[in-house]
Amino acid sequence: MTRRTCAALAAAIAATLTLTLGACSSTGSGTSADNGKGITTEGDGIVGGTPVKGGTLNILSNQDFSQLDPTRNWVEPEMDFGLRLLYRTLTTFKAAPGAGGLQIVPDLATDLGEPSDNDKTWTFHLKDGLKYEDGSPIVSDDIKYNVERSFSPDLPGGPDYAKQYLNAPAGYAGPLKGQRLGPDAIEVPDSKTIIFHLKRSVAEFGFTVTLPTFAPVPIAKETGANYSNHPFSSGPYKIQSYDRGKSMVLVRNTFWDQSTDPVRKAYPDKIVVDQSLGSAGIADRLIANQGDDQSAVSYVDLTPPRVPDVITNPDVKSRLVSENSGCTTMLDMNTSKPPFDNAKLRLAMQYAVDKEAFQSAVGGPALADIATTFLPPALTGGTAVDHFKIPAAGDQAKAKQLLSDAGYAGGFSTDITVSTGAKQQAEAIQAALKNVGINVTIDAVDASSVNSVIGDKNKQTGLSISGWCPDYPSAATFLPMIFDGRTITDTGNQGDVTRFNDPAVNTELDRIAGLSDLTAANAAYLALDGKIMDDSPAVPLTWQKKPLLVGSNIAGAFANPVWSGQLDFGAIGLKSVK
Amino acid sequence: MTPVAEAQRAASPWRLAWERLRRRRAALVGAGIIAFFVLAAIFAPVLTAISGTGPDTTDKRAIDPYLGGLPRGSAGGMSPQHWLGVEPMLGRDIFARLLYGARISLTVAFSAAVMITVIGVLLGITSGYFGGRIDTVISRFMDVMMSFPSLIFMMALLSVVKNVDRVMLLIVVMSLFTWPYIARVIRGQTMSLKHREYVEAARASGTSSARILLTEILPNLTGTIIVYLTLAIPGLIGAEAGLTYLGVGVRPPTPSWGQMIADSSLYYKVDPMFFVLPCSCLFLMVLAFTLLGDALRDALDPKGSRG
Repeated sequence: MTRRTCAALAAAIAATLTLTLGACSSTGSGTSADNGKGITTEGDGIVGGTPVKGGTLNILSNQDFSQLDPTRNWVEPEMDFGLRLLYRTLTTFKAAPGAGGLQIVPDLATDLGEPSDNDKTWTFHLKDGLKYEDGSPIVSDDIKYNVERSFSPDLPGGPDYAKQYLNAPAGYAGPLKGQRLGPDAIEVPDSKTIIFHLKRSVAEFGFTVTLPTFAPVPIAKETGANYSNHPFSSGPYKIQSYDRGKSMVLVRNTFWDQSTDPVRKAYPDKIVVDQSLGSAGIADRLIANQGDDQSAVSYVDLTPPRVPDVITNPDVKSRLVSENSGCTTMLDMNTSKPPFDNAKLRLAMQYAVDKEAFQSAVGGPALADIATTFLPPALTGGTAVDHFKIPAAGDQAKAKQLLSDAGYAGGFSTDITVSTGAKQQAEAIQAALKNVGINVTIDAVDASSVNSVIGDKNKQTGLSISGWCPDYPSAATFLPMIFDGRTITDTGNQGDVTRFNDPAVNTELDRIAGLSDLTAANAAYLALDGKIMDDSPAVPLTWQKKPLLVGSNIAGAFANPVWSGQLDFGAIGLKSVK
Repeated sequence: MTPVAEAQRAASPWRLAWERLRRRRAALVGAGIIAFFVLAAIFAPVLTAISGTGPDTTDKRAIDPYLGGLPRGSAGGMSPQHWLGVEPMLGRDIFARLLYGARISLTVAFSAAVMITVIGVLLGITSGYFGGRIDTVISRFMDVMMSFPSLIFMMALLSVVKNVDRVMLLIVVMSLFTWPYIARVIRGQTMSLKHREYVEAARASGTSSARILLTEILPNLTGTIIVYLTLAIPGLIGAEAGLTYLGVGVRPPTPSWGQMIADSSLYYKVDPMFFVLPCSCLFLMVLAFTLLGDALRDALDPKGSRG
């Protein structure tokens, strides 16, 4: 992207707009982000150069971690936080900005896995000298145990790749009541070897084991649903104190050995997470950049009202880490209940929503592009696919016509669940839908409980806003995860939140999963993406950047391209330690 | 006092009060501001029809998407289309939202004020006149209500109850915790009034209690009630704004001053006008009622003013 000064740009845009003010149609074409206006991290993508060892890193947050239990950790930025600081997995992603960060390297394992039997059997060997926070050794059975935990209905919400891929007996309900998986699914011939037997060939299984499901959890430390309060550390830090919703203090895990870990640099001596702040307050503190805040990073996105403050101030802008999150933000419709069980009505929603207004509510074109289909550009060969070719501001006439075709000519009322911080996003949706006769009531709930409300069959509202980010750069981590109706659960439903269940789609997903030719698979996913768009369980809204401010004493801050553009906690540290 | 007072000696107490009130400029200013806002609220649909934008209409041309949806132009986007500018991000007209917001603030405050007056007077007068066990029960009940952590209760209640008219709920919840204050004052006044000779005379002549309360005691409480009502309204307006600010008041997109202040607090630096306008309205309204209430108390309460 070409980078020009923002003030000049803003003036230029203002001038164009004054000239064309008479034409009251959408201004979207003139202000879309492909004109090179999106803000990205300055320089080489790394803010602050190389860090030094030592010091205290402060993380400023407005919410409690929703889950740190490795089995259940499937939300960003918690996944990044857990995987970089508290637990290690068989393989993991390199800590590097841009394309370098998309590569996997061995973590607990000695290599990226040895596939056999046409990619249906994967063998991993553990390194020597791996230890937990109490000095006890990490054994392969602990990894097997954690994978088994992901089958447990009492520990919902986590990645369900193991459930989908492993050759486990139907109805297996996890190890909490003492039932372990047999060697047909996972073999542990010795304490350093683990062999996974899959139902079908999975060429990307080396990527799959980067997920926190494949981190070790010792049986002796099992505390069920409370494990999230103190995950037993295999990473470079351990929890010293954790007061949920208030603060967490991490100190070095002295038994973690740098020589076994090619990725995590573990620069700071101590990491303090303050969870009691507000998102505007966090932005203000980091903009002001005083005292300890110089050694602080933001855990939450820069709040849109503070965007003008940042992009008009070169000093602050140089401290902004902002890369494509790779996620698609969507307006999800609960397809299991009226009125959104009506496909025609759902199609009308595609035309009714004003994506431009929504884009403004998430920070404008500087921080978000308009999404035109489910698959983000990163998964469709780098260029955005526009399925319906609807104007960015919507097409109300068409929406009204489709509504009356669907039998809802008089409109209807529904609810939308959003976090309290996303009220304005909901208002943007609400205002657009009101124009076609749909009355939306906004249910604003605390950020940490949004997912549990949306994932609960009885509490879920008609609409909700959520994003999906690929777990690794493959369409296999996108469509099958959010539109496979067989993964729906009554509570803790995290993948297919629209409860969309179409047998034809499920069959097609299985067919594509079986393709060994990745190019053919990608083409098939793209075709399926269009088919699901026609059924319209969700309206793609934006492809957003992840804007994160850091203090002036922070070094090695860059966005991890896999974990939705979140700061890579594996390589971050301080410029100087006083 | 002055010769003016001589001339007024023959006038009725109400006329006396009006004369005293008229000489206070602060009271007239207060009354003027109140009249202005009440009229603005009543004629909100007419005024927004003239200005051309409704409270929920979004105007994308008025905001600059690249600067995070900041209004274009100076002073928060004030222009011939948007007299008082627009809200950042969604581009809704502030003038229209202030007018419709006044409707909510005033409806809630006036309705709640009427409710607390009715409940407070009824229970206060009963408790003060009858005394004994009735008084004990009602007074203890008032103590309980007054010592209740009302704000926390209101927030809990408003966030638990769903699918209810929020305006109605705000009125009920706010009245529930505010009536004991007026009830106490009324109770005290009634206790002193019931020992007056004319009340005793009425009682001796066999007049029923209900009749004594309505014809002998209540008319003598009118001044107190009016003053109390006027002074309670600013408190209620503030409480409504506060509850809405905390996210438990009216739901978006219904405009209300509290909600606008809550939204604008995020923008106080980059778009100060958005912050200043609803705050000024709230400030003026509360100030106006306080000025009027103070002046009314002086005018209606002989002990207070003539000292």
